[in-house]
Amino acid sequence: MITLRDVSKTYRTDKVETLALKDIDLHVARGEFVAMMGPSGCGKSTLLNLIGLLDRPGRGTVEIDGVPVARQGDRDLARLRNRAFGFIFQSFHLIPDLRVIDNVELPLLYRTMRGGERRRLARAALEKVGLGARMEHYPNQLSGGQQQRVAIARAIVGQPQILLADEPTGNLDSRMGAEVIDILQRLNDEGTTIVMVTHDEAEARRVGRIVRLFDGQLVQPEHAHAA
Amino acid sequence: MLRNYLLTAYKVFMRRKLFTAINLGCIVLTLVVLMVITALLQSTFWPDGVEGKSDRFLQVYGMRSESADGKSTSTTLLGFKTIDKYLKPLPGVERVSAFTIPNTVSVYQGDRVSQLDLRRVDADYWKILDFRLLAGRLPDENDDRLGRLVAVVNASTARRLFPQAAAVGRSISVGGQTFTIVGVVADVIHVNAYADMWTPLTTFPSTDYQKDLTGGFAAMLLARSPADLPRIRREVERSAATFVGADPRTYSVTHFWGDSKLDVFARTLLDRHSVPDSGAAQLLLTIGGAMLLFMLLPALNLVNLNMGRILERSTEIGVRKAYGATSLQLAGQLVVENVVLCLAGGLLGLACARLVLWWLEASQLIPYLAVGINLPVFGCGMLLALVFGLLSGVVPAWKMSRLDPVHALKGTA
Repeated sequence: MITLRDVSKTYRTDKVETLALKDIDLHVARGEFVAMMGPSGCGKSTLLNLIGLLDRPGRGTVEIDGVPVARQGDRDLARLRNRAFGFIFQSFHLIPDLRVIDNVELPLLYRTMRGGERRRLARAALEKVGLGARMEHYPNQLSGGQQQRVAIARAIVGQPQILLADEPTGNLDSRMGAEVIDILQRLNDEGTTIVMVTHDEAEARRVGRIVRLFDGQLVQPEHAHAA
Repeated sequence: MLRNYLLTAYKVFMRRKLFTAINLGCIVLTLVVLMVITALLQSTFWPDGVEGKSDRFLQVYGMRSESADGKSTSTTLLGFKTIDKYLKPLPGVERVSAFTIPNTVSVYQGDRVSQLDLRRVDADYWKILDFRLLAGRLPDENDDRLGRLVAVVNASTARRLFPQAAAVGRSISVGGQTFTIVGVVADVIHVNAYADMWTPLTTFPSTDYQKDLTGGFAAMLLARSPADLPRIRREVERSAATFVGADPRTYSVTHFWGDSKLDVFARTLLDRHSVPDSGAAQLLLTIGGAMLLFMLLPALNLVNLNMGRILERSTEIGVRKAYGATSLQLAGQLVVENVVLCLAGGLLGLACARLVLWWLEASQLIPYLAVGINLPVFGCGMLLALVFGLLSGVVPAWKMSRLDPVHALKGTA
């Protein structure tokens, strides 16, 4: 499903060159739930951004379903992001000016779809995360946990094959964090591939596989853990 | 999608009310100036009301005579004889009117003297122009034929001369002649219609004017339909080619042209009396360019404000990109938001422009000014707002749509 070959990424400014990732080889199979762990600044988010096609590697290739994405233009990448991926961010990144239902509809805006159908799918996604009664609310009227569930609904509304979650429980207390992981686990059970960045060892141990990074390199590549 | 864009736009604008108000104020101020100019231009060159038939008539204002070597030129108004001999016989013209340009005269009422602008006009003048008659009647062919000393005054003049009573039936003395006022018409400002007082041509103290090829006259040629105008223009040009002046040795070539209102203005302004093209297109382009330039400065200011506003929303831009928005779609969204604001500014601007025009009318800075906001002006106003929206929205929208999503999501763009 996701294959990274010999991927490196360097960030350059006028004076400083920072090697964020070095020689990463990683394969994530369809239906896997992968947790990425490592200390701050080790390149976890960079790796997630490369997988999610939000960034391009300096060297190496990223393949989605066997298709290299290096040469794809803005439009094709946007289309692929829209169809294949759902993103969950640590800070939720909901649009504060839009109601919950409008936030959830957002990925569908970039597809050819009638408003009624969009609304139906958004409603279904919100029901799935247990927020069917909060559709008309605005994000600031919800708790952190509820906001993250809205973000999950937004991530899954387009029925993507892959969910990319960047510390989805980072801003939540343990109870709400556990709820979020439960939802992700359920989605994975239904066949969605999930790659999640986390600092929480216990959380990571609940998922299928842990990938550890240190100084931009994989230290335990492809090492399986029991759930 | 549009609903989502508009909803977001509304919320974003309402989130920073002061900022939005400043934006809106800047837009409204610019558009008011441009809309007032547009309304004045529209009313001058494509009027309704008294000169509402201007899409059907041509005017001949002035003639240019040149020596063979082009070194000597003479630009004058037409004489009555030129109109009578070269324009009245033109085929396929419904009416030809000869009239003088306004001339300031002293009007005596006992020991009181008033300065008025007087036109002498023929009976066709009243049939080509649609004056609104407020009292009495308009002069006709009989008045012309019999040289009756009758006069028409406008409403302001009637009030000025006879503040206590009706003007119709009263007499006034002008240049030793005593005129009876037979009609009162509404005040008007337009080029052919403007005057305080009108009398028949035949009330000239002598008939010498009938022999003059040059003088103080202009002519209006009314076509049966607007489609006839190009043909009549050609006829006028042909007729001018046959013109024989009083001094053919000095001036061997004479030009006069059948012009629209805009043509008359452009020809005079650009001094294009010797060529068929009045330069109207050039003039319109210059006006359009000047308006665009006038918009540019506030547009640049708005670009700056927009950059700040959009930058605040970099996270939203990042999220939209992550979820599949292309740069083009994002640019479209941000442009739509700005255009919505500018259209709202346009509507407000129209209302303010109407107030400014009321003030202009009431102040009498331009006598008898009456300018409305009609459908074409409304359309132009909205077009101006749209152009302003695009001018000030496209650059920041495009720049912001190119944001790197990773940086945008971090809010470090």
